[in-house]
Amino acid sequence: MKNFEMALPNSVDEAVGLLPKTLSDDRARLLAGGQDLLTEMKEYLVEPDLVVNLKSIPDLDGVVWASDGSLEIGALTTLASLEKDASIAAAFPALVQAAASIASPQIRSAATVGGNLNQRPRCWYYRSEDYPCLKKGGTECFSYYGKNRYNAILGGGPSYIVHPSDLAPALVALGAEVQLISPRGERVLTLEEFFVLPSEGDVLRETRLAADEVLTRIRVPAPAAGQRSIYLKFKERDAYDFALAAVALVLQTDGDKLASCRLVLGAVAPVPWRCTRTERKLAGRPLGEELVALAAQDALADAEPLSENGYKVPLTQGLIAEAFEALTI
Amino acid sequence: MRVLQLQVNGDTLETAAPVHWTLLEVLRYRLGLVGSKQGCDKGDCGACTVLLDGKPVLSCLTLAANAVGHEVTTIEGLAPKPETTSEPALDPIQRAFDDCGALQCGFCQPGMMLSARALLNTNAHPTRKEIQQALSGNLCRCTGYTQIVQAVETAVARVSGKTEPDCAWVAELARDRAQIDSAPNEASPSSTTPGPGAPS
Amino acid sequence: MSARDQHGLAAPHGEFQIIGKPQRKIDGATKARGSALYTDDLCLPGMLHAKTLRSPHAHARILSIDTSAAQALPGVHGVITGQDMPTPYGVIPWTPDETALAVDKVRFIGDEVAAVAAVDEDTALCALDLIHVEYELLHSYQSPQDALERNEPAIHKNKRGDNVSKRVQLDFGEVDKAFETSPVVIEGDYSFHGSTHAAIEPHCALAQVDGNGLLTLWSATQITHYVHRALASVLDLAPHRIRVIQPAIGGAFGGKSDPFSLEFCVAKLAQITGRPVKMLWNREEVFYAHRGRHPMDMHYRTAADESGRIQSVDAKILIDGGSYSSFGLVTTYYSGQLLTGPYDFPTYRFDSTRVFTNKPPCGPKRGHGSVQPRFAFEVQLDELAVQLGMDPIELRRRNSIGPQTMTVNGQRITSCGFDECLEKVERASDWKSRRGKLEQGRGLGVAGSMYISGTNYAVYPNDMPQAGIQLKVDRSGVVTVFSGANDIGQGSNSMVAYVVAEELGLTLDMLRVVAADTDLCPVDLGAYSSRVTFMVGNAAIDASRKLRKLVVSSLAEHWEIEERRVRLVGGEALDLEDPTRHMTMAEAFQIAEVKHDTLGATGSYNTPTLGGDYRGGSIGASPAYSFSAHVVEVAVDEETGHLDVREVWCAHDCGKALNPTLVAGQIEGSVYMGIAEAIYENHQTNRFGLHAGPSLLDYSMATTLDTPEIKALIVESLDPEGPYGAKEAGEGPLHSAIPALSNAIFDAVGIRLRHLPFTPEVVLRALREKREAERQTASPGNNP
Repeated sequence: MKNFEMALPNSVDEAVGLLPKTLSDDRARLLAGGQDLLTEMKEYLVEPDLVVNLKSIPDLDGVVWASDGSLEIGALTTLASLEKDASIAAAFPALVQAAASIASPQIRSAATVGGNLNQRPRCWYYRSEDYPCLKKGGTECFSYYGKNRYNAILGGGPSYIVHPSDLAPALVALGAEVQLISPRGERVLTLEEFFVLPSEGDVLRETRLAADEVLTRIRVPAPAAGQRSIYLKFKERDAYDFALAAVALVLQTDGDKLASCRLVLGAVAPVPWRCTRTERKLAGRPLGEELVALAAQDALADAEPLSENGYKVPLTQGLIAEAFEALTI
Repeated sequence: MRVLQLQVNGDTLETAAPVHWTLLEVLRYRLGLVGSKQGCDKGDCGACTVLLDGKPVLSCLTLAANAVGHEVTTIEGLAPKPETTSEPALDPIQRAFDDCGALQCGFCQPGMMLSARALLNTNAHPTRKEIQQALSGNLCRCTGYTQIVQAVETAVARVSGKTEPDCAWVAELARDRAQIDSAPNEASPSSTTPGPGAPS
Repeated sequence: MSARDQHGLAAPHGEFQIIGKPQRKIDGATKARGSALYTDDLCLPGMLHAKTLRSPHAHARILSIDTSAAQALPGVHGVITGQDMPTPYGVIPWTPDETALAVDKVRFIGDEVAAVAAVDEDTALCALDLIHVEYELLHSYQSPQDALERNEPAIHKNKRGDNVSKRVQLDFGEVDKAFETSPVVIEGDYSFHGSTHAAIEPHCALAQVDGNGLLTLWSATQITHYVHRALASVLDLAPHRIRVIQPAIGGAFGGKSDPFSLEFCVAKLAQITGRPVKMLWNREEVFYAHRGRHPMDMHYRTAADESGRIQSVDAKILIDGGSYSSFGLVTTYYSGQLLTGPYDFPTYRFDSTRVFTNKPPCGPKRGHGSVQPRFAFEVQLDELAVQLGMDPIELRRRNSIGPQTMTVNGQRITSCGFDECLEKVERASDWKSRRGKLEQGRGLGVAGSMYISGTNYAVYPNDMPQAGIQLKVDRSGVVTVFSGANDIGQGSNSMVAYVVAEELGLTLDMLRVVAADTDLCPVDLGAYSSRVTFMVGNAAIDASRKLRKLVVSSLAEHWEIEERRVRLVGGEALDLEDPTRHMTMAEAFQIAEVKHDTLGATGSYNTPTLGGDYRGGSIGASPAYSFSAHVVEVAVDEETGHLDVREVWCAHDCGKALNPTLVAGQIEGSVYMGIAEAIYENHQTNRFGLHAGPSLLDYSMATTLDTPEIKALIVESLDPEGPYGAKEAGEGPLHSAIPALSNAIFDAVGIRLRHLPFTPEVVLRALREKREAERQTASPGNNP
């Protein structure tokens, strides 16, 4: 990796002051746990002159429960500490399941929640220095005609990456919001709004984070009465691997009916893929096999697989069914 | 270049290294602590695992600057000080790895043993599944993990003062060999097997 | 065969003291403490760091290379290109088609073009960016079929003007007649994908030229001797001015068997700069260096009678060799020659063709050349069992070749414990009561195999011993063993220590082993072909017995007793009949030294003349064969295509298990590697020839959580010529794990997977096709 200067700011304001003003200015990068950034720097995908090390900023690490039962997670909170938190496991099982499913114990010791949400794609055309792919400012998404077994089946075009985060689908399903700070002040977005499709935004990026902005906190609203949640991830190896498909499901029942649900798919689209239409169709229906079948069918109805990733359709459908069965039967 | 003051294996060490150097590079090429290995340099294999304040991290994905202010433990710091001058001391995990055949090429094992140590520090009586989970970030290409998991189980049993069963594999192997002895048309190897590395 | 090469099965002193019992490795505690020194752990004063410039093109002519800007960069001390070392080499002396750096052409993405030595790696990397290479692109061959069909541009020049690396056609008996007259014929296509060794230690080499001009190379190699020879030839330097040392090595599995570019480059750069030079390849570069499992497309036909007796086997195999020959000549022979056991069949034919393609070169990976055909054949045998309605273990038992037999291609089988292997896995897996009665989605499969314990085909023709051992004695009682063999983690240094300690009645702490150093140790041909235990073990017995004879005769004379009364055991010498008479081995050695002067001994091993009397008949001819049988239990998730391999029982006939702990470790490691490459691993390039994911994330290897329960079952059919009856254990137990998995999947869900790897999408597709086929046969129109 190329050498750089390291800044150790003492506050978020100081940190954002060090960042460039425009997205095209690539000279600085934020460092949290480093588990994604360092791999990019070692591949020469990014070569910043300045690394702004957030580790020196106090109070960005750790979780706080508000009196209304909502949870605030500091961006520097490690995945390992989320994974081991019994009260989070009780309130938001999907979040802890997602955290525990990530990479390896060592990576979870260092990787942060903020870093996980801001990590870059794993598509190997993007990760290979040798490909001037769309995501690196080139003109072609090589996966469209090339090796695409890991790529998108929903929401693809012009880039067909899938978003690699496991926390993201779980947190979107839980209705989380993110706090972003820049020299212009603070703003709050829902995590769902935070992610942006390549067809709707800047194809070089996956989020609405501005060049001089830092994601500082994540707020997960208090669980509704009777809320249940689950995160299921299918990966080839039981450690290290990113998902081939993942499902986050949050729901409430009303007697033998489904009151409401939030269904978010992971590893199938360039963003965490919320199935809003399916959620609406399912609300109020009686629990049981018919509902499960409808959920699986409708959520993937718009899938447009590439040459090698058609398997993701039945795979994701199987996971959706498993998630509903786990929470309702 | 940046001057770094690092706490490594109980010592305070001062060195200078380029800002972009990782903890792994500083340990190996500045401090001479070459027991931490580089297998992939990208966080995919676990050979470079060290403990940072007791937690297993990848030294190849940790900038050396981010280790400042934390206690680093490498394989060189795992064994306790010897109690006698004639016998070198080993951590029970190191001893069990040696006894159980877990050290083939040995290259992944410093990281593996530190992951095992981190586990036993927080969970003195792990199940087999918990051992496998804790070691799942350490790739080994030689052993098929079998004797590694058995070694951790052996270390746990020994620390708990259990003498039976000491090394799971010895019992299983002996049983199998006993079967061979009773099989027809077979020359008879010795069926009594002492404990692993039993003093001769 | 000379007497020195056969030593019998018995313990030297009645009961075995060390051999056959669980022992620690002699380097175990060192490795446990993390203080074993691997090549990259070595650091010399003034050392420079080198990096390699690699080709970005799969097939191109080099028009020019301009290194002037790189040379001029401050901190750069040396830049070399192919012109600096144009002499071609190859591990097989008949096929020298590699150069240390590309001379006129590059043949795959990653081919080495230039190397730079600088004060540090960062400077060397900057210098690589300043080297300007002009290429003329050529047609790139990305499939073996393309390379067969098209000759121009040839990847390598040969007399035929084609892209064929090697073709072997051999016929044994009247194959066509056997197929005409046999009532049952099974025929099918099978394929094996590429996989690679991925030892956790990347390749590394360090070179130094001393004040006398002696070149020393430390390298992570598993064949010190061949590296020595290749260096002498390529550097045009007398062999006696070169010393090659293998430090501790972090795994090899065949991937460190060839001489590699970095070894020549650091040597040349050390000569040019006058300073020590080290090069450590990164993980990506290791994937380019490759030499892993050859992808093979295989067509098999098997003829049998109604009782299940195999009448004939006919194979046609297309082998994707990648860009260089490496061991390819041997691979091509092995793809056919090693299939002729553990089953007896009267006629056999194979036609194997290895072609060059513009991909990283393939070579020997654990189970060299025979894992792929074994997969095809053992799946085909399962199909035969289904067709005959026969238990697949029974089918294999019925065809078992047995001990003291000759295979159809003229290979001599001495010891054979295959029947016992089958019996052991059958019993341990509870096969008879569980098979066919497991819950939906679960199944059991079986397969068997055979492998060599070394061969009598030395890589270069010579009549000298294949293995040698030298012993040196100290008055303290310490015996130093000088062994040329390469300990690659399998424990060969420990093995020679066990043998010498057993023979001389020493305790293991009295042994020192100095190994794999061409200045200090006798020549050994290296750690490949599963030859080390058999050959070096025999050489160690040979040397020890010579030394023991000197000691025993001296003590007999000293005590004035008959030699038969002298026992050396547990670090002591004693008189069997007079317990008051004993002394330490240190004292015994001193008495012997008085009588015989300075003590020492050498020992050797060479194979007998083996193999069929035809061209290539000695390739694959081994002094002894190991045998394996596997039963795999799998659970198939029909929703996701996920394979959960629950348990693998592997019974392996390794002859005498010199240290059962290490044998179990070899069996477990083999089973893991076989199952992992069948399900998770895939070494492949994309349409441009670029490696599809040269990292340990993309090339995914099983973790603790993905590895099944492995039950190693040791079978000991004592071999008459092995050291105390020992044979190999490091490669054989991989083979039949893979077909046993495929057969278990068939048993579980009725899909016959003939093409590797078994990824979730492959399983899902096969399940869908099966359901569609069932629907069609179930529809009214098709009902009979």
